[in-house]
Amino acid sequence: MTGKERIKKAFRFEKTDKTPWVPFVGVHGAHLTGMDAESYLKSSEAIVKGVSKAIELYKPDGIPVSFDLQAEAEALGCKLKWAADNPPAVVSHPLEEGTSAGQLPGFSKDAGRIPVFLEACRKLRREHPDIALYGLVTGPFTLALHLAGTNIFMQMMEAPDEVMKLMEFCNGVSKKMASWYIQNGCDVIAVVDPMTSQIDPVSFESFVSPPAVELFDQVRNEGALGSFFVCGFAQQNIEAMCRCRPDNISIDENIPLSYVKDVASSLNVSFGGNLKLTSVLSMGSLRDVELHTLETLDQGGEKGFIMAPGCDLVMDTPAENLVAVGRVLSDSYHREFLRTLEAADTGTGKADLSGHWKDEKVVIDIITLDSSSCAPCQYMVEAVETAANKFGNKVICNEYSIKSKEGISMMNALGVKNVPVTVLDGDIRFISRIPPQAEIDSVIREKLVAKKLI
Amino acid sequence: MKHNEILEKIAYCIEYGKIDRNSPFPPNLKGQDGAGEYTQMALEKGIRADDVLRMGLMQGMDRVGKKFRENKIFVPQVLMSAKAMNSSMEHLMPFFTSGEIRSKGKFIIGTVLGDLHDIGKNLVSMILKGNGWEVIDLGIDVSSEKFLDALKEHPDSVVGLSALLTTTMANMKETVEKIKDQNSETCVAIGGAPVTREFCDRIGADIYSPDPQGLVDYLNQRYNAG
Repeated sequence: MTGKERIKKAFRFEKTDKTPWVPFVGVHGAHLTGMDAESYLKSSEAIVKGVSKAIELYKPDGIPVSFDLQAEAEALGCKLKWAADNPPAVVSHPLEEGTSAGQLPGFSKDAGRIPVFLEACRKLRREHPDIALYGLVTGPFTLALHLAGTNIFMQMMEAPDEVMKLMEFCNGVSKKMASWYIQNGCDVIAVVDPMTSQIDPVSFESFVSPPAVELFDQVRNEGALGSFFVCGFAQQNIEAMCRCRPDNISIDENIPLSYVKDVASSLNVSFGGNLKLTSVLSMGSLRDVELHTLETLDQGGEKGFIMAPGCDLVMDTPAENLVAVGRVLSDSYHREFLRTLEAADTGTGKADLSGHWKDEKVVIDIITLDSSSCAPCQYMVEAVETAANKFGNKVICNEYSIKSKEGISMMNALGVKNVPVTVLDGDIRFISRIPPQAEIDSVIREKLVAKKLI
Repeated sequence: MKHNEILEKIAYCIEYGKIDRNSPFPPNLKGQDGAGEYTQMALEKGIRADDVLRMGLMQGMDRVGKKFRENKIFVPQVLMSAKAMNSSMEHLMPFFTSGEIRSKGKFIIGTVLGDLHDIGKNLVSMILKGNGWEVIDLGIDVSSEKFLDALKEHPDSVVGLSALLTTTMANMKETVEKIKDQNSETCVAIGGAPVTREFCDRIGADIYSPDPQGLVDYLNQRYNAG
């Protein structure tokens, strides 16, 4: 099953062979390729390179072309302030400064950086035909705020007709952007409207729902899938968002995934999220990431769920943390390993290794989930034992299953983080990889030579 | 109209965002006096400015803060209330200058470096002002050094950091560390859509609240200023 097929099935609540994974790589792509955010977001070549690197490392099922909610606003005349390690920010609001919507520049394919994103989209489509490409479109309400500033909140009360007109204008921009992304190869249009988290359900239904329904209908008619993204505490609007007829909604850690699952599923809308961006993905340890992914996976369930970060990834999120998310999703043995660890007594300490090592022998310790039930563990144990047997009683081979307290305390003492792992005289050598006999032989020989046993 | 009735009118206008007689919102109060007119009336009737602040404005903003925390109202309604509060505050400003009204304390606030979003920061500022705090607003995109400079100028202040972007939360961490390095006793509050309690604990800030009222309650308790 390709990533694209997996995403499409999940959007339709069909069972998939594994939970689809969509890392929201925006300026993180710049980090992966050693660039600053500004140069990255101004070059289609850089975006293609960054996204391709993310695809190579994280093995996702879907990925956004870019994550820049300022592009449409910039094309319409808003000034941006650029930063080296962040997406740009809108710093001027033309409608607040006396310009009327009719006086804004026309929104065309050639405006601002729009051609950069469309070209990146075409190239990524050619290079990665099996990945679901997400085209991110600034939602009409967020775009309206970029154009009119925060006064729009008060105008909703004091001049609602004006706000409605502005929303219609902004939705026209969102619709154009969505069409262009679809024409250039996107499979999913994600309408990202984070500012809707700031309004109440009545305001949402009055100002946001009518244009959003039109937008998602158009996406569907043009043969693509539609996803509605929101960041921040937007729990009050989840039901209204689902009623805008997207195929999927995506939320961040501010909203409990279980709540979104219940509401969205009942309205036949698939859902995604909500890995913690900073406290876990960016700042957490590898084990924090793995356990959090597992917990999120358990909440999301097997159907209609897309694993994704809550929002745009922090630029310098450690790549190994995102690799770890993919591994938890694709490796059922690793999930079982994590569950076993979690279930184990947290008070389990480290085994006492005094007396464990021998001067006259090489000691091999294989830490497994359990070689009788975990196939990779079984193959590793068999391969290492076969190699060890060739050296007779000069080599001792022990298996420690982490399903026992003894196994966990041994794992802790040896500093092992995954299974299956082979440790020779305390030296961690083979991690989750069954090496060929010649390689195992050579490592055992190296240890025997070090002890002058051969 | 009795004094307590006028004060209740002020609180009510602030709660519902009724600015003045000309404002069209809320529709059910169209054509009626608003916070501005009632505040003027209160002062003309001889109610002490401090009482107008505490029993009128602060009562109204307290209700707004609580409703916001309970998700009964959202940003647009809070902004309307703040606008109403400002129209009251205009009449009270001379009394702050003369020292007749004293604030509960100083609160330095800003959006962290790299982040240009100000809605959250402004909401917190308004609700703190409405609860009697003097707010020193450093604006947006504020470096650690600017926060430290402001603290030197106003040493006993509480500091509040805001961030909307997940991508700028790293700068929040750096600023908290620098403030704590300079004076570990300084109370640092953090907030913003992507911020969580877990993050607050991790970076060593004193208080995170998902809503401004939580911060007000915390400050009132910590500084015995309720």
